Amino acid sequence: MLQEKTKKIYKAKVVRVEKVSSSSYLIETELPYKVEIKAGQFISVYCDGLTLRRPFSVYSHNNNIIGILFKERGKGTNYIKSLKTGDEIDITGPLGNGFNIKNKKSLLIGAGIGVAAMAFLKSELDKNGIENLFVCGFLNKHEIPNCINIDKIYTDDGSVGEKGSVLNYLDQMINNYKPEIIYTCGPYIVLKTIAETAQQYGLEVQVAMEKVMACGIGVCRGCVIDIKKNGEIVNTTVCKDGPVFLGSEVVWQ
Amino acid sequence: MAVMTNILQTDLNGIILKNPIMTASGTYGYNNEYDDFINVSSLGAIVTKAISLNPREGNKHTRITETEAGMINSIGLENVGVEKFINEKLPVLKSENIDFFVNVAGSTLDEYCQVAKICDENNIKAIELNVSCPNVKSGCLEFGVDEKSLYELVSSVRKEYGGFLTVKLTPNVTSIEKLGVAAQNAGANAISAINTLKGSKIKISCINGRVQKEIITGGYSGRGIKPVAIGIVIRLSKAVDIPIIGIGGIETLEDVLEFLSAGADAVQIGTANFTHPDIAQKLVSELEEYIIKNGFKDLNELKKELRK
Repeated sequence: MLQEKTKKIYKAKVVRVEKVSSSSYLIETELPYKVEIKAGQFISVYCDGLTLRRPFSVYSHNNNIIGILFKERGKGTNYIKSLKTGDEIDITGPLGNGFNIKNKKSLLIGAGIGVAAMAFLKSELDKNGIENLFVCGFLNKHEIPNCINIDKIYTDDGSVGEKGSVLNYLDQMINNYKPEIIYTCGPYIVLKTIAETAQQYGLEVQVAMEKVMACGIGVCRGCVIDIKKNGEIVNTTVCKDGPVFLGSEVVWQ
Repeated sequence: MAVMTNILQTDLNGIILKNPIMTASGTYGYNNEYDDFINVSSLGAIVTKAISLNPREGNKHTRITETEAGMINSIGLENVGVEKFINEKLPVLKSENIDFFVNVAGSTLDEYCQVAKICDENNIKAIELNVSCPNVKSGCLEFGVDEKSLYELVSSVRKEYGGFLTVKLTPNVTSIEKLGVAAQNAGANAISAINTLKGSKIKISCINGRVQKEIITGGYSGRGIKPVAIGIVIRLSKAVDIPIIGIGGIETLEDVLEFLSAGADAVQIGTANFTHPDIAQKLVSELEEYIIKNGFKDLNELKKELRK
């Protein structure tokens, strides 16, 4: 049996690297220890020679196998995608707070690579028998990771699913599906629009935020955002206090 | 049972550390945050995030960005303030047996003195005066670039604080020797060198034929500043008699040896904690192994040999 480890730093082994869409990759890593991870939490990866580790939402988790889904964006992700099965990968985590799962009819909205955190959350909700609808927006059909089952897809160019931004369909989705809670992960503007729309309907929305991070544990204060707490606006770290926040707490820019 | 002698013991002229590996202010939080990755109490000492008299919110704009061989930060000394530090952070340092220095920052001479006095009243054994933060509008750096102001500041703080006092110098000056001597003459026990180098990065993107740019200015740290830091430690060690705590881009045992050779008696690990959060504890073991493997009696003997 795998033992649990108290320290959150691992030399893991790459067990799978696969291109899953025109721009994204799936990498699965095997940790020498069993870890507990909540949907919405992230891991941070050391990328050969780079100063800052790169944070990624966990996409899949089974005992000691952790999967992340990422888009190739620069030097860090280019390094990770170049890893081969059997290579060592330096991981810290799980970091941050995950989604606070409620036993409520749930609408999950992913946009772009934000689909990763939503897919993990969906598997958690399914496991707990919580009714949910998982929708996602992409630029076009080539961007859709082939490893994910999504209930409803929206593409900007209409190459598959409904045509247009997922944001254009928010009212329709809420009115038709009548969710009691919304969870979302994606670009800032998407999170902001969903938070504002949810507020109009009086719905709770939990958003998974993203920000450039250095330490990943709340000490460097590099990734702070403004959060409303008890009527006051306070500097709050995305890495430790987040990355999941209530949409109504975030001071949107 | 044989008596275990600590071969890494480090005498810094007023305080004895169990080893010379420390962690730099701003990269290690206030107390046990890195317990997620290592046993923090195994380090020579941690230096807390800079503490000012009142809480500070820090800067609003982009705070960190990666660069070719390190990073630029412009946090702006966000911290909880000395009162909250004493009430909430200090008890954890004590209960977990973590050796620490409190990094003290201020906008005015009076503010430095007040924080130092509070540290003295709370029996804090060591403080590091931050006269080198490049990211705040007033105070701090202005004391660190002029030897007369520095002398006045350090001697005023010295009157309020009886414990171990080190002064963290900025490399953003013409004659570091004069500042080192001023700190020494004003009663500092040691000098910490260096803080970050002032630098900028311009992020450029082009959308539909229009260039958009963001200029991020702050303190440059990480691997890239090591040669600057080594150069300054060499210069300081010729100018002052008090110990020097070397800081700047340390990531490996070779880096530590280089600093010891340049004249540092202890070192602080900064940015590398972000890259490898267990690095400081690793360096403690690697340094110990190196001393044993090469047949030195202890760290002091290694230092002597390195400085021949």
